[in-house]
Amino acid sequence: MSAILSVDRISKSFGAVAALQDVSLTLQAGEIRALCGENGAGKSTLVKILMGIERPDTGSIAIDGTSVAIRSPSQAQALGLAQVAQELSVIPSLSVLDNIWLGSAQVPLLHRRRAFRQRAQDALARIGAGHYDLDRQAGTLSIGECQMVEIARLMVRDARVLILDEPTATLSDTEIEAIFAAVRALKAEGRSIIYITHRMGEVFSLCDSVSVFRNGRHIVTKPVDDVDRAGLIEMMLGRSFEDMYLCRQQGATGRPALAVENLGVPGVVHGFSMTVPRGRLVCIAGQVGSGAHTVLRALAGLELATGRVSVDDRPLRLNSAPRARAQGIHFISENRAAEGIFGRMSVADNVIATRLPAASRLGLLSWPRLRREAARLIRDAGVDERRLGSMIGDLSGGNQQKILFGRAIGQTPGVLLMNEPTRGVDVGARAEIYRLMRSFCEQGFGLVMTSTDLEEIVGVADIVLTIYRGRLIGRYEKEAITMNAILTDITHPPALTRNGINEAAAAS
Amino acid sequence: MPLLHLLSPYRRPAAVFAAVLVLLLILDGGRGDLLGSSLLFSLFQMFGTVGPVALGVGLTMLIGEFDLSVAGMVGMAGCIAVMTGGDNPWLGLLIAVGIGLAAGVLQGWLMTRLKLSSIGVTLGGLLIFFGISYALTESRSIEYPNLDVADVLGRKLVGFLSIPSLVAVGLYVVVALVFGMTKLGRDLIAVGSDRRAAVSAGVPANALVIATFGFSGALAALCGTLLGYSLASAAPTGLANVLVPATTAAILGGVSLAGGTGRPGGIALGALTICLLQAGLNALGMSSYAHEILVGLVMLTIAILDGSRFSIRIDELRLSLRRS
Repeated sequence: MSAILSVDRISKSFGAVAALQDVSLTLQAGEIRALCGENGAGKSTLVKILMGIERPDTGSIAIDGTSVAIRSPSQAQALGLAQVAQELSVIPSLSVLDNIWLGSAQVPLLHRRRAFRQRAQDALARIGAGHYDLDRQAGTLSIGECQMVEIARLMVRDARVLILDEPTATLSDTEIEAIFAAVRALKAEGRSIIYITHRMGEVFSLCDSVSVFRNGRHIVTKPVDDVDRAGLIEMMLGRSFEDMYLCRQQGATGRPALAVENLGVPGVVHGFSMTVPRGRLVCIAGQVGSGAHTVLRALAGLELATGRVSVDDRPLRLNSAPRARAQGIHFISENRAAEGIFGRMSVADNVIATRLPAASRLGLLSWPRLRREAARLIRDAGVDERRLGSMIGDLSGGNQQKILFGRAIGQTPGVLLMNEPTRGVDVGARAEIYRLMRSFCEQGFGLVMTSTDLEEIVGVADIVLTIYRGRLIGRYEKEAITMNAILTDITHPPALTRNGINEAAAAS
Repeated sequence: MPLLHLLSPYRRPAAVFAAVLVLLLILDGGRGDLLGSSLLFSLFQMFGTVGPVALGVGLTMLIGEFDLSVAGMVGMAGCIAVMTGGDNPWLGLLIAVGIGLAAGVLQGWLMTRLKLSSIGVTLGGLLIFFGISYALTESRSIEYPNLDVADVLGRKLVGFLSIPSLVAVGLYVVVALVFGMTKLGRDLIAVGSDRRAAVSAGVPANALVIATFGFSGALAALCGTLLGYSLASAAPTGLANVLVPATTAAILGGVSLAGGTGRPGGIALGALTICLLQAGLNALGMSSYAHEILVGLVMLTIAILDGSRFSIRIDELRLSLRRS
């Protein structure tokens, strides 16, 4: 094997912040390299440099042993470097064919349709997506299918080094398998892949080697066979890693914090019932599109729904978000940017956004009180108080999530609903968020979360409810919570019994 | 069926056009005033004026921007053409269109270079163009001595067309072909649909924005020149209200203010709809404020039909019907 890409002693600073320091890497042809590290470790800066979006302060890059200067994205494309960014660049109003050729330097002004159709079709077929209709509007594709279209786009450009940035973050299991198959097919053609991921499991099941970044430095590169999970996490964090998940609550429970009976959302959720005991962490496990997210959204009053719901034994009228809030239901969305934070406002403004009435007199806001309140809330959430004045959009995903958590647990907490509490959150901040969730439960409140990450579900939940195509499949507690049982339920559930619940599971 | 899917963006604008025609026929009530011989001619005369401006504004909307300055550009270009083209109308046309193109490019360059909003920049352009027109003409209406040109431009060709309306039709055909058949069209749609995604896919978004504003400026200038020549006079306020019908035409044609949707053919149908309404109501002898109210009602109806609330209601209705 020969080195296709080598990066030699690259450094890059933004103002006083050193984003990358003295980083050297080599990548072989046909290698799948995992890039691991916490948010802010320097992974994305390295990618931006490779893609010609940023220029390094010092250091050099060589392709096939020839030193190159990458000054623009189009130059990166010409050199055979290409990436699928975390935010996809598929245009919904164009067809699959047009999306595959979009921005390609090879397309002449007038389309030579037949030749280009054929090449697009070939590219799709080679990554196992030959059945896609080239004339279909990309807006009707799922996220996983869009990923495949993006990969095909890189293939028609004949990219030799493909950078995939957390491609599976929001995908269901079958879609993840499709991506894995595509990546392996690329490897078989001798292309190299840089695979950025927060999911440990993918490093070991897909990649050949792993490079760990921490605080802008390249710590180590090893074949995956030479590292284990704990060792990898330790290298990423730079300290030994106490168990990320905390022990389960086992004691007796009091009255239910939340009772849901026969919840329905037309076309998505059908007859969903559950009871959330006080002090317990309940997790609804389901794939993307299973309706798990919708259940929580409906309870928060954000979806038109029917059913009987009571909070602390008081009935809740559905279909109004303010009413749900007034009864103590707090919701944290999986889509932080759109439904969580006010990206261009300060941390302080964000954390007090929902409690302005409490801190105002005769309709006038009391700023000293608000400031004290904001400081207390973010201290409780475990965020540095000096961050109060920064713009929340500049913070890491983990810190943003902690601030949203601080905002949701107010003076009147009742039930907290969280969709994907650790999406886009790195390993270090994850442990802190689990701890926050646990301490919230220990105060005697109910917490319901949804997750597509099996490992997380098994690690944190006291009670697991599985959901498939909008129907409740099983309920698991204590030792009955196993990856296998949950995985079966959420992918190919056993035949449903009359009351809709998997009885074998319910009996446990 | 690849052809059918090419037609789909035109379904709604065509339906709106048909609905307006039916509405006019109902208003006519069988008296036959509407379908007089001159309706088609006056419809296309209006299309010759509104059409190009609607195309320019519509394209800027399609890429997710907005060109307010066309209203000022039409007047300014008219004045410039009438003042410089007295001896040679081609020279006046060339100067006016050149200035329109340059002004549009300059505005687009400012937006992309300094990352400014198009509304702010083109509002500035609008006021500056108005100011320049007033300064050039000293706030008076100016005469165009070359009456032969006006005569040629007003002459009927092939039954119901004239040179201005032929030019407008030709422009639409060319732009529609560019959209349908070239990479340029796809790139424009991509830029309007999702600017960030287009850039990261490698589309030169800034250059396309600049070019689109240049095109819009040139079309507005062309429209102003032809109008000035046909009327044999130009005034700073000439067609200052063209922005409203042009925007209306683009929206009727399926272009959304968020960008990315709509096609040139749709904009053409939208412009034809506006002109049909105007020409039809004139033929029926209705006052101009009735025209404005009717256009408003049509727009409101479309907004309601398009709204997500409405489609959710319809879906719910269907679901409950199926259940019962």
